[in-house]
Amino acid sequence: MSSPTRLSSPFAHNNQSVRNLMLKVQLAAIPALLVHIYLFGFGIVIQWLLALGTLILVEYGMLKLRNRPILPFMTDMSALITVTGLVFCIPPGAPWWIIVSGTAFALIFGKHLYGGLGYNPFNPAMLGYAFLLISFPVQMTQWTLPAELSNHFIGFTDAAYLIFTGSVPGIPIDMITSATPLDRLQTALFQGVTVTETLAPLSQEPSNPFLFDLNSWEWINIAFMLGGLWLLYTRSIRWQYPVGFLGGLSLIAIIFHTIDPNTYPPVDFVLLSGGTMLAAFFIITDPVTSSTTPKGRFIFAFGIGILVYVIRSWGAFPDGIAFAILLMNITVPLIDQYTQPRVYGHRR
Amino acid sequence: MMAAIIIFVSLALLFGLLLGYAAIRFKVEGNPVAEQIDKVLPQTQCGQCGFPGCKPYAEALSKEETEVNLCIPGGNEVMILISEITGLEPKEMDEKVTENKPKETAYINEDVCIGCVLCIKECPVDAILGATKLMHTVIQAECTGCEKCVPVCPVDCIEMLPAKVTVENWQWPEPALKPTDHTVEKNKIGAKK
Amino acid sequence: MSQRLTHTLIQKMAHFYPMAKRWLHHFHGGIFPQYNKSLSLQQPIKETIFPEKLVLPLKQTNGQKIELLVQIGSYVKKNQCLAQAAKDNKKGVIVPIHAPTSGAIEAIENAPFPHASGLETLSIIIKPDGKDLSIDNVLKVSGQAPSHPQQLKTILLNAGIVGMGGAGFPTFAKIPNNVGQIHTLVINGAECEPFITCDDLLMQTHACDIIQGAVMVANALGAENIICGVESNKPAAIQALQKAASGTNITIKEVETVYPMGSEKQLLQELTGTEIPVNTHAIDNGLLMFNVATYAAIYRAVTLGEPLTRRLVTVAGFGLKSSYNVFALIGTPFETLANAGQPTQVIDYPLVMGGPMMGFQVPNNQVPVIKTTNCILVNPPETLATEMPCIRCGECMEACPMNLLPQQMYWHSQAHEFDKVEQLNVFDCIECGCCSYVCPSHIPLVQYYRHSKSAIKELRTEQKAAELAKQRHEFRLERIEREKQEREARLKAKKEAVKNRAANPAKDSSESSSQPKKPSAAAAARAAAAKRAAQAKKQPPEESQASPSETTPSTIASEAPRKIPAARQKAIEMAQKSAAAKTGSKLEPTKDPRVSAKRAAAIAAAKRRTQAQKSTTETAKVSETINHENKTLPDKDPKEAAKKAAMSAAKRRAQAKINTDSTPPDSIEKQAQPSSETLESKPIDKRQKAIEAAKKRASEHKDRQAKQQENA
Repeated sequence: MSSPTRLSSPFAHNNQSVRNLMLKVQLAAIPALLVHIYLFGFGIVIQWLLALGTLILVEYGMLKLRNRPILPFMTDMSALITVTGLVFCIPPGAPWWIIVSGTAFALIFGKHLYGGLGYNPFNPAMLGYAFLLISFPVQMTQWTLPAELSNHFIGFTDAAYLIFTGSVPGIPIDMITSATPLDRLQTALFQGVTVTETLAPLSQEPSNPFLFDLNSWEWINIAFMLGGLWLLYTRSIRWQYPVGFLGGLSLIAIIFHTIDPNTYPPVDFVLLSGGTMLAAFFIITDPVTSSTTPKGRFIFAFGIGILVYVIRSWGAFPDGIAFAILLMNITVPLIDQYTQPRVYGHRR
Repeated sequence: MMAAIIIFVSLALLFGLLLGYAAIRFKVEGNPVAEQIDKVLPQTQCGQCGFPGCKPYAEALSKEETEVNLCIPGGNEVMILISEITGLEPKEMDEKVTENKPKETAYINEDVCIGCVLCIKECPVDAILGATKLMHTVIQAECTGCEKCVPVCPVDCIEMLPAKVTVENWQWPEPALKPTDHTVEKNKIGAKK
Repeated sequence: MSQRLTHTLIQKMAHFYPMAKRWLHHFHGGIFPQYNKSLSLQQPIKETIFPEKLVLPLKQTNGQKIELLVQIGSYVKKNQCLAQAAKDNKKGVIVPIHAPTSGAIEAIENAPFPHASGLETLSIIIKPDGKDLSIDNVLKVSGQAPSHPQQLKTILLNAGIVGMGGAGFPTFAKIPNNVGQIHTLVINGAECEPFITCDDLLMQTHACDIIQGAVMVANALGAENIICGVESNKPAAIQALQKAASGTNITIKEVETVYPMGSEKQLLQELTGTEIPVNTHAIDNGLLMFNVATYAAIYRAVTLGEPLTRRLVTVAGFGLKSSYNVFALIGTPFETLANAGQPTQVIDYPLVMGGPMMGFQVPNNQVPVIKTTNCILVNPPETLATEMPCIRCGECMEACPMNLLPQQMYWHSQAHEFDKVEQLNVFDCIECGCCSYVCPSHIPLVQYYRHSKSAIKELRTEQKAAELAKQRHEFRLERIEREKQEREARLKAKKEAVKNRAANPAKDSSESSSQPKKPSAAAAARAAAAKRAAQAKKQPPEESQASPSETTPSTIASEAPRKIPAARQKAIEMAQKSAAAKTGSKLEPTKDPRVSAKRAAAIAAAKRRTQAQKSTTETAKVSETINHENKTLPDKDPKEAAKKAAMSAAKRRAQAKINTDSTPPDSIEKQAQPSSETLESKPIDKRQKAIEAAKKRASEHKDRQAKQQENA
């Protein structure tokens, strides 16, 4: 047919498209981005710009190599989500080659080599993050100290220096970097310090009355949660993901905290630390790599929640979200097969 | 040292005995691989593979004496199924097997037919009705399109015509290849029948 | 009370969260498209438009045999029956076609038919004369409501009523045969598709007809309950129906406005709360549903004896300045109706029959309105959005009213794994289009499923055919094997007989030793004789004289390239002698079995000749000439003789063909077997042509064979 009209019904369509969906997700991440800049400085902006540059180069190169049309695939914004997710996971002061290699790996090995959009079994952002974590553990765990603690706001130029040269002129590196609360908790536990002792100083930090007694990481999580709720409202993501994930995580956290409050942190800490909210609303909701049935999605998210807690408490990594997600990605076809919904007219 | 040798030798003997017993106890009669292959072949009995029918081809395949890409009516799909069943490597089809070629059946031109029964003798599924010096006709429902009758007719009165498309047997075409996807493989068959 | 409260609450919530509307109806999924119904609800129903010509397709849903009651040139009046099911039609789901207005039958030929395939079908073309003369009460009804389903079925069959909601299944076939099988009658006034307003207007203007029609059907079937479902976006229609239904036991229920509320399965789930189990029909579950237009047609058929010749059609779209509804005559071309709506631009794009969700593009805008045409959509084409790969978002799954997994079905049908697609219940798909509507990647999902369904059906038939072919092949091999063995057994027996006779010459006369061999030898002899007789019979009768002459048997003998071995011959003689001795009858003077065969052949030939002579004299003359021709030529070479046989047979066949060609076709079905019983005199040149053709082909074939031999 020469004319570009549809051959078969239906001849009507709603105004949804892949690009709209991805843009909405990107929009929902902006509040968290702003909070991040406010608390941790402009590092993240530079990282994001670097990532964007890598993205354009890598996507163009891969599409050319795979003989695919460039324009529709470059503008469907799906790679942007991958990049945003990755950028939030790495320390804002990490060297430039971290984000570049991570993005390249995520896009090439996590997306294009599997066939491009819609064909990859593993979450590309988490694949990139896992690659970075395993290959460059030192750089990945040296987080920037929030401005309130270091009393130094990392401006744009400072961030640029940090990222490209590894240090800010005039400021010793220890002043502006530290471990994340999760990391600190894990190290402390290894050393035998109880949870309450570790967490107490965090809540007693000289805090801005603005910040409601919550530390910076918790604020970022809350910002993500707000963005996620907006996504739920606009039906860009499904409720099974956050409910399943947070529900699973809370459940196991409550159980273990009740059993032994000294070794296991309380629920609010668990839910608001690390990348929990980011994962709940932005990462695990990636439709391509998650289950396709409603029940299956709940099980998928629940599984991730349990695994995150397990890795955090008994695993070697402080934040086990990436690995939990990758593990559950493997089980998706099995989950799909056993959670098929009952069709009209059939008994089961 | 001796202990190790003794242990290994006895283990080998034990497993050998087990395997031998299993080979005898669980021996399968007949040749199930040939049956499986025969099930997926199109049963036109046309002989284009070089074997006198589908069953002989299946049996040869089960003994791995021949290639997987010889069945022309089956095409690429059957070739892939055969390679899955036998474990042999899939091979490119030799001749240009036109995809989605409409099924053709034989039609005897009755003005010209001389009633020589040569085509009746040739048809592998007895799809031609007739007798000596009487009119021959092809039972359309039984004709498999193997084309074996066409060359034997002395007056060349048999031709292959595609089935007519009517409103009853018209099919919705598959949506055209996506404009964004150049290399969708059309012949991926994942499941065994 | 609390239900209404939740209802209102959800409706309020829907302002902020539109998908909350999905909680208001009882089936899964559903979409809320832009309805644009106000486009065609504005005007009153237009006057019937009389086109230049009316095209009435004879194609019925299953393509069975139909019998024409008129011919080209006949003058027909409105409501006159034009075609009905043929007497020998086995399946019995054909409805008759009636003339929508008076006029002359211009032609009966293939014309485009509104079907997605674009194929043509045989149609009656009427040229209306504008007088609109009609036959009243052509169904000869008494006006009384039918008291038994059979009575109703007869009226409906004769009236040609089919389901007017879009499926077109003959109504009389849908109604069960006995009283009491249906407990609830449902009236489908939902009309969920965008743009379509014909049912709405029908309900507003002809509410009484609909209600009375439903009451009639319910009384005939003994159904206790009657429910009518109307979407909430038709308040005027609901009011009109309620007014008309006061005094009856019909419940008018307002249902939510969602697509596809009008689908039978979904509406039944909404109104009665029951799901129709898979592979059963609503009738099997005591429920019967018809469209409002069908009920109105039933009413008119029963009370006025009026067949179905017109229906309310919506002609709407963005390509028209004024969309409208009209009581269109069946057979009106689409273009006529579209042009009457003041198109904004010349209509050079395909029109759509049906709504935007389930309609199809017609191949040719001249296709006629048929009994199931509820809407003609005039929408100029928009550029198609680029189709992206599936991102597995699951919107399709959430929109599917049958709770299927469109995404998985798409992945498997793309990969041609049709058995998996079947396992995913693709045959439960009602092709409503909700999944394609919501897909962010703009994938034409419904087309994939339509293709998969037909591909699966084709695969099934192919498998069956392959199985059958395999069985036939195996049987053939067995048969050949069996014949071979029988031949060997016979040969062996003969050899034994010969051996015995040779070894024991003294025992020739005694029957005891050769007794057991006699039956087989006799049987062999008989078989050989019969075979030769048959051979002689099949050869064309070479003699025109009454008595067999000596020359002909020899020719038969020479043509049959067969030399009977001396030993065998002797054995046969022996067997015959002893058999004759056994029976006590005189030994027939048939020394040469060929003679008896000769006689049999002669007798057969004579019989045939007398038969031929019974027909016209010219026939005999013709056969005489053929025979003379044959006789004059020396036929020593068997091949030459075979060729001659071929030519004469071809001549005969050519004559027969010419015979049948001249007779007018009685039935529409084209039979492929020309009768070759009677031969009449025909122009000689046609015969000559056939002879030439046969000669040419034979020589061509010989040349080709020679060439092949050279090359080999």
